[in-house]
Amino acid sequence: MEKRLTLAAAAALLAVIGFLPLLTMVTNSFFVDGLFSLKAYQALWDSGRQQLVLMGQSVLLSLYVTFLATVVGVPLGVLLGKTDLPFRLTLTVLLTLPLLIPPYVIAVAWFAVLGSGSWISSLAPETSKYLSTAYFGPYGCTGVLFTTFVPIVILLTIAYVGAVNPRLEDAGRLVSRWPGVLRRITLPLIAPAILFAAVLVFLLTLGEVGVPTYLRYPVYPVETLTQFAAFYNFSAATAAVIPLLVVTLVVLALEYPILHNQVSELRTVTFGGMRTQIKLGRWRLPLLGIVSVWGLVTVALPLAVLIAQSSSLSAYADAFARASDSILRSLVFAIVGASLLTLLGFFCGYLIHNRTLPVWRGIDALTLFLFTLPGTVVGIGLISLWNRPISNFIYGTPAIIILGYLAQYAVLPTRMTSTILDRIPRSLEQAAQLCGTSWFTTLRHIVVPLARRGLIAVWIIGYVFCLRDLGVSIVVYPPGSDTLPVRILTLMANGTPSLIAALCVILIVVTLLPVGAVALWSGRDRIGA
Amino acid sequence: MIEMRAVSKDYNGRRVIDNVSLKVETGERVVLFGPSGCGKSTVLHLIGGLVIPDSGEILIDEELVARAYRNLREPEQRGIGMVFQDLALWPHMTVGENIEFGLKAKRIPYEQRAQRVREMIDLVRLGDYLKARPGELSGGQQQRVALARALALAPRILLMDEPLSTLDDELNNQLREEILRLHSDLGFTLVYVTHSRVEAKELGTRTIHIRQGRVEQENALRGRSREDIHEPPAASCLRDRHY
Repeated sequence: MEKRLTLAAAAALLAVIGFLPLLTMVTNSFFVDGLFSLKAYQALWDSGRQQLVLMGQSVLLSLYVTFLATVVGVPLGVLLGKTDLPFRLTLTVLLTLPLLIPPYVIAVAWFAVLGSGSWISSLAPETSKYLSTAYFGPYGCTGVLFTTFVPIVILLTIAYVGAVNPRLEDAGRLVSRWPGVLRRITLPLIAPAILFAAVLVFLLTLGEVGVPTYLRYPVYPVETLTQFAAFYNFSAATAAVIPLLVVTLVVLALEYPILHNQVSELRTVTFGGMRTQIKLGRWRLPLLGIVSVWGLVTVALPLAVLIAQSSSLSAYADAFARASDSILRSLVFAIVGASLLTLLGFFCGYLIHNRTLPVWRGIDALTLFLFTLPGTVVGIGLISLWNRPISNFIYGTPAIIILGYLAQYAVLPTRMTSTILDRIPRSLEQAAQLCGTSWFTTLRHIVVPLARRGLIAVWIIGYVFCLRDLGVSIVVYPPGSDTLPVRILTLMANGTPSLIAALCVILIVVTLLPVGAVALWSGRDRIGA
Repeated sequence: MIEMRAVSKDYNGRRVIDNVSLKVETGERVVLFGPSGCGKSTVLHLIGGLVIPDSGEILIDEELVARAYRNLREPEQRGIGMVFQDLALWPHMTVGENIEFGLKAKRIPYEQRAQRVREMIDLVRLGDYLKARPGELSGGQQQRVALARALALAPRILLMDEPLSTLDDELNNQLREEILRLHSDLGFTLVYVTHSRVEAKELGTRTIHIRQGRVEQENALRGRSREDIHEPPAASCLRDRHY
């Protein structure tokens, strides 16, 4: 009973945090001054052509990014996850780095490489001028978002090529060479996962505001943010986010059944821990060269130039003077957000894993939907629900930011917990229950200790995503409670490049600090074991 | 003929095959027998080229195909068919596509491929299921598809890794008959892994006992003779065909 009650409470909490704001937002968009009205939609319709152009640009940008990320990410994922390429782990970490950093930091880093004051501009001023002109616009946006989101495709490909039953590939290898096995067995088997990765990249690009704002490329989510932040036209902003909500819903509705059925099928044939590896033979070193150059150029170079640009004490002194409060707030919010995400995600993940309540599928779909929604939509939804005198204790305090984190990123701990629980035999929990222990005791003494390492990873992922968040925070932060990503974006208008670079480096360090600490700790733990 | 000479293999620092030497004559039916985890399946994987030995040599028809840390013949070049313990049928392909895969990989023309798939389907008596997916078939039917797929390229050697372990007794009996019939008709060399004494006695002309990665004992069995096995008309046309 306590199990069902707790899980029902977690599901209800998620519905209140994530679904209710969206429902309120949609409902509110039909009311003006308490009366039913389609005025906001009329205004949206009147500016139809402009909206269509913006939406078209958003969709095109998302398609370009998705195409590039898939075409590059899948082969990289196969190379890193399936072959004997040297330094696979190091290369995976290097190529994954952009996902841990706010996308607009990557944009700033690339400007440090290409723009005025860069080494390219001192060597070849004309080329630099041409490159920086091209950079501000769709090409720059595509490039930056591609490098930011390609790790999603790489990581999912790595995860799923590792989940394919090695016997299915062995059966193919007896009659065909590896390229044939990959083309006709491995890749078709993981096609749903690749499709899922592509959909994620598409929707995350569609909702991105930081990079298009920095690179001055007008896309639909930036327009909704402008309506809200610059003109404070809340009803117009609310009506404007509805098309984004609809696009997200349609894309997910098309993709969800395919993903759910086929990836589940893939999992059921998995052999724990057994992997087949492709021996690259004479291709080993040339491919290592290609992947290393790719990683160095797309990840290490911009970050190194960013660090070089910030490398003066005065820049860091200025950065701390102007943003130390934001740094501290970001840290606290991220720690609180990650802890609550881990807790909520644990129960939601448990619910989905064990299918304890019939709503498990709804919760699974809701978390994914909220993750793929643009942060601005989630933020405007939260304001729609909580901006009233009675709930000012939430709306007027950082609690609204934390709620935003919980809504937007709940899918990460939920899915991760569900996967972690897959690896714990159900009989262990059942054996404890037969001894007469309560569910909470079983969780505390059996499930949580067994899932400990995984739950730490869940916390870190939650921390990273809360810390890098811009989409939700920029919309909902109460006066005097801005986070570091928001502060950096605000300072970009009048801050010097070295100040912005220093702030970006601080953000990267603060983001990666716990990742490094846990990597060190787990390394020592392993040696100790 | 298959020959393993002083082959060893370690996994994660644990020796799973320890200095194993064995010989299987052409056309013979040899059963590798032993408890779970003793290394029987690894022997099959070594013969198939799916696992590379850490030391020793493996020869097929007197040709060296693998030595320490090196496959000299890749799995697809060894002329081996294999039925896996979990069957490993490709779930995204139909029965026909599963059987056809190897023929396609060998670039056999479409007409010949189609004919061969039809022959294989008839051989294992699954005529109505050509377009079905593995998930739509019963355990016994899946077993037959795995057999048909393994035999499609008319391999010289058929390796079977506890293929009947999950089936009930009646189905197990039926399929044992079928394996004997196919062996009798097609004349391949059979290496069969099991931990069941009944299967070992029924299917093998010789058993090799493996324990803790070592060959412990070899026994010659009477085995079932060719005359004991009923030969269906469909099978006779498949004899002596190689791809």
